[in-house]
Amino acid sequence: MLGSILTLVFVLVFNFFLFRVVQKDPIGSLFRGRNIPAATLDNLRSAFGLDQPLGTQFLYYLRETAQLNFGISYQSRQPVWNEIVSAIPATVALVGVSAVLSAVIGTIGGVIAAWRRNTWKDHTITSGTMVFYSMPDFWLGMILLVLFAVVLGWFPVGGITDAGSNETGLALILDQLHHMFLPALTLTLAYLGEYTLVTRSSLLDVMGEDYLTVARAKGLRDVMVRNRHAVPNALLPVVTLTAINFGFVLSGAIAVEAVFSWPGLGKATADAIRGPDLPMLQGLFLLFSAAVIVFNLAADLTYSWLDPRVEEI
Amino acid sequence: MSIAMQRRRATAARVWRQFRVSRQGMIGLGVLAVFILMALAAPLLADVRELNPVFARQAGNPQWAPPSEFAPLGTDHIRRSVWAQFVWGSRVSLFVGLAATVLTILIGSVVGIVAGFVGGRLDAFMMRITEWFLVIPFLPLAIVLASVLGRSVWNIIFVIGITSWPSTARLVRAQVLTVKQRLFVDRARSLGASGPHIVAHHVLPNVSGLILANATLAVPISILTETTLSFLGLGDPSSASWGKTLEEAFVEGAVVRNAWWYFIPAGLGILIVVLAFTLIGRTLEEIANPRLGGR
Amino acid sequence: MKRIVVLALTVLLAVAVVPIASAQEDENVVLRIGLTQDWETLNPTAGFAVSEYEIWNVHYATLTDKAADDFETIPGLAESWEPSDDGLTYTYTLREGLLWSDGESLTAEDIAWNINTGRDQGWDNMLSTVGNLDATVIDDRTVQITSSVPDPKLPTLDVYLVPKHIWEPIATDYDAATQYDALDGVGSGPFVVSDFRKGQSVTMIANPNYWGYEGDEPAIDQVIFQLFENPDAMVAALQQGELDAIHGFPASSAEALEADPDIEVVAGQQGGFDEIAINGGAIEGQPHPALLDLEVRRAINFAIDKEAVIEDLWFDLASPVETMSPSADPKWLPEIPEENQFSYDPDRANQILDDAGYLDSDGDGIREMPDGTNPIVLRHAVNTDGDNAASIGDLFKGWMEDIGIGVELASYDQDALFGVIIEGTYDTFFWGWTPFVDPDPMLSYFTEAELYNYNDANWTDPAYEQLYLEQKEELDPERRVEIVQEMLTILHDAGVYISLYLSPDLQAYRTDTFTGWVRQPAEIGPVFFSNSSPSYALLTPIGAEGADDGSNNLLIIGGAVAAVVVIGGVFLAMRNRSSSADERE
Repeated sequence: MLGSILTLVFVLVFNFFLFRVVQKDPIGSLFRGRNIPAATLDNLRSAFGLDQPLGTQFLYYLRETAQLNFGISYQSRQPVWNEIVSAIPATVALVGVSAVLSAVIGTIGGVIAAWRRNTWKDHTITSGTMVFYSMPDFWLGMILLVLFAVVLGWFPVGGITDAGSNETGLALILDQLHHMFLPALTLTLAYLGEYTLVTRSSLLDVMGEDYLTVARAKGLRDVMVRNRHAVPNALLPVVTLTAINFGFVLSGAIAVEAVFSWPGLGKATADAIRGPDLPMLQGLFLLFSAAVIVFNLAADLTYSWLDPRVEEI
Repeated sequence: MSIAMQRRRATAARVWRQFRVSRQGMIGLGVLAVFILMALAAPLLADVRELNPVFARQAGNPQWAPPSEFAPLGTDHIRRSVWAQFVWGSRVSLFVGLAATVLTILIGSVVGIVAGFVGGRLDAFMMRITEWFLVIPFLPLAIVLASVLGRSVWNIIFVIGITSWPSTARLVRAQVLTVKQRLFVDRARSLGASGPHIVAHHVLPNVSGLILANATLAVPISILTETTLSFLGLGDPSSASWGKTLEEAFVEGAVVRNAWWYFIPAGLGILIVVLAFTLIGRTLEEIANPRLGGR
Repeated sequence: MKRIVVLALTVLLAVAVVPIASAQEDENVVLRIGLTQDWETLNPTAGFAVSEYEIWNVHYATLTDKAADDFETIPGLAESWEPSDDGLTYTYTLREGLLWSDGESLTAEDIAWNINTGRDQGWDNMLSTVGNLDATVIDDRTVQITSSVPDPKLPTLDVYLVPKHIWEPIATDYDAATQYDALDGVGSGPFVVSDFRKGQSVTMIANPNYWGYEGDEPAIDQVIFQLFENPDAMVAALQQGELDAIHGFPASSAEALEADPDIEVVAGQQGGFDEIAINGGAIEGQPHPALLDLEVRRAINFAIDKEAVIEDLWFDLASPVETMSPSADPKWLPEIPEENQFSYDPDRANQILDDAGYLDSDGDGIREMPDGTNPIVLRHAVNTDGDNAASIGDLFKGWMEDIGIGVELASYDQDALFGVIIEGTYDTFFWGWTPFVDPDPMLSYFTEAELYNYNDANWTDPAYEQLYLEQKEELDPERRVEIVQEMLTILHDAGVYISLYLSPDLQAYRTDTFTGWVRQPAEIGPVFFSNSSPSYALLTPIGAEGADDGSNNLLIIGGAVAAVVVIGGVFLAMRNRSSSADERE
């Protein structure tokens, strides 16, 4: 717990100094491309405390961050916080669904692979997931796009809704799901591998243990032995993995969101890179780091709750 | 001295014997060899001038042409040969992947060995830093650093190295701790050997196998990271890596135009090279840690 | 348990079907337009994006208007005008019974307040027009405008006039005026803004008090401008009937759109052009010293292949141009004497550089300065917001390689690029302009006064300055054209602004939903996003407004999916029943 807080502090310090070093003139950059008189710019600089010593600026930064004031985006000239907040739902929906699907499907695959180890089922599953895991995820997205959206026309080419439509309610949700199918498929396939391999090796570890022999001796059917005894114990690492991955959820889909023009945090990051829109990047980075820290903490707590053998943190 | 050399040679021979028998290892090695040969032989395989759109136009190349007998992988939006981009791009992708991995392994190993060997407060401090880096999401950190440092090949190598070292450090440290517990380290100490001597002659040999395996598995990460960073526009605008090819293909609308020949080869190249390294790495891992064998 | 599942699935099916049954027929006539450029602000005193100008063209009427076919000055809010004897004063008579969209009277007070306040507070978008003007109210329908110097632009006065009764309390000074969000929705054009969502859309509704509709009543109730991040999605939306017209589609989509019988493609020319600009060295940040030599710049001009760009990147939809095009009106197109013109001739370029002493002494393929030092490597800035900038960067690199000059590419977004230009830390970049109708603003961008601002050639020339002041007050139209041609030749010969082509506005509209699109200028111009956007008041719908096909399809799909789910659910229910018997131990 203390460790997590320290890490968060480290992230804040790192974030501040990295960007302060690079942003030589944040106010000038914010208003570049516009005709603002020099006097107005100087006033703004004082207002933002940019003529203060670095230490004082850091304190301002902490205060602003605590108030969720992450500055103003260079590209949109809107508060960074607003831009980020409006992008969160799309990413959470897409990556949440993909994370769940890849965890479920991947785990099932891992179970089958372990239970039927060294058969063709095992080899197919293991090789297949390894192939998907070894390719750039956005490349997989491009392939799915060209096949299913361009050639076959079954899905749209990008975005979250059909632009220009004012659908509401169920029709809107169906439209969004329609748009979400391909990017979700991409992310699910790309990250299956992790779950499959972890589950498989964890299950293989467990399968060597005594109580399974006892259960088999009792005459229980294979499936029952697997589902009621082996799998639950093998699941612990998977659960931890899932919890940790949820933390990386927010940042996991940057390139894929760019390929599908999915209006979430990933696309916001890809757009901010083009400037570079440093305030946006700074805010996004802080959010991504904080999410990972929080979910790691949650994973640790969950793990210790599930497995009493582990000591208190 | 010569005894140590002999021992090392024997170890290497043993590793190679075991490696040769592994089907997955040899396939990986073979495929990798093909690609490295291709990268080295680039000038023989494709005219570097084909990367210059002005030359391509003068040569009469068509635009957006699918593969034909004139252009084995077709042409792109400004008439450049995709095959040339593939061949020459392999150089950059492989170079950046390897160089970044070298940096990663260097930093990670040094940190891991020092922390594990010295122990105590230095160890705790270094591990704290390592944990911090592990927690920070890797890709956003790389993006932020690359945006701030500017777009060049060396910056990308630096960025990948700086963000990837923690997992290596942790692995190496764990191994060093195991080695430390073995008796001969104490024996060497009692014989009056100094710290660095022990590290060089006792710790390193026992850790190098793991480092090698880890390095081989780290290359795919470096390559995929470079690809992603280039795709997002952070790559060096003057050098044509596979990631840059994918970026240009996407931005110029290759997907929408169904110009599959523009983006399939580069991605395929990455996939195959990454798989090759992964197979080699898994084999080395199994050799270094026989408990993993037979799975 | 199973029964509950079946019931739930049936409900789901019903819910999916009901929307089909009760699909609301939209009674509004809505014109849907797609575009790819976002709006920053809807304040007409301070913005500059093409997307913003279009909204203002429609929302605010101007004192005088522009004819669609040749930009001639025609009545706007003013129905007639009389010059004084010395030509310095014009007296305008407004139409009778003018009202703002909120019902307030539109009088000479509004006109005078706009001109005088715009001048006094220095509103960016008006200053070059009204800086020398003073307005006096004679009576409610009569306003007198006097210029302090001879002004060839008069009687044309097409600055956007904002409602005094709304703006006066707000616009207390320059800052207040230019930072006002201008979302009051009060205007004098055919449509007024009713909703603005930055990054998404602008919605406008018909202004019942507008006088200039095709019929007596507005034929269209609403205009919705829809922003698309992805131009290909925009093209698809037009093809599927979700949009009525689009502006700014990628050149590569032209073929597919032209093949569609219900879509008309327009490659509108209104003087817009793209250029490769060389750092002229007039400000602190220095270009590579070689660029200060006219011979080097001339060599670079001879090494640029405009044909290649027009053919490969524009699919022949653009046309070549010799130098900067200062106006939307084709009568101002540059006519450079043939002996001065550049052409694509790398051999000649190499010859020029050799003769001027820039040789490659160390054999690395890059020439150095005559004294052998400082290899000529140019920092070329790629504008990430520009469509073809990356490809032009690659081509530029190739062209320069051919004549022994190195190129380093650096990427910036449009705002960062503006900053880099002002700092002068670059050698070349690629960008473009869309000029106004009067050539004065565009010409002014190459004067000393615009350094550190819009003068992105970072170049000045005393002869050019002199001629600029002359044309600014030249009342004889023919003589004015002569002066401007001289100026363009000076700019051309200096070789700092390598204009590549006239960039067309690529637009497309459906021929089965609305009719009445008008090109400005006639025959060659775009049908909207033009200088005064006359089409909006003239469009009428064809037949009944079709229901939204897209959403209907989706609902049918949704219904089918639900049906399958129900059937499947029933199947599963029956199967489970039989196998659970087996399960019991």
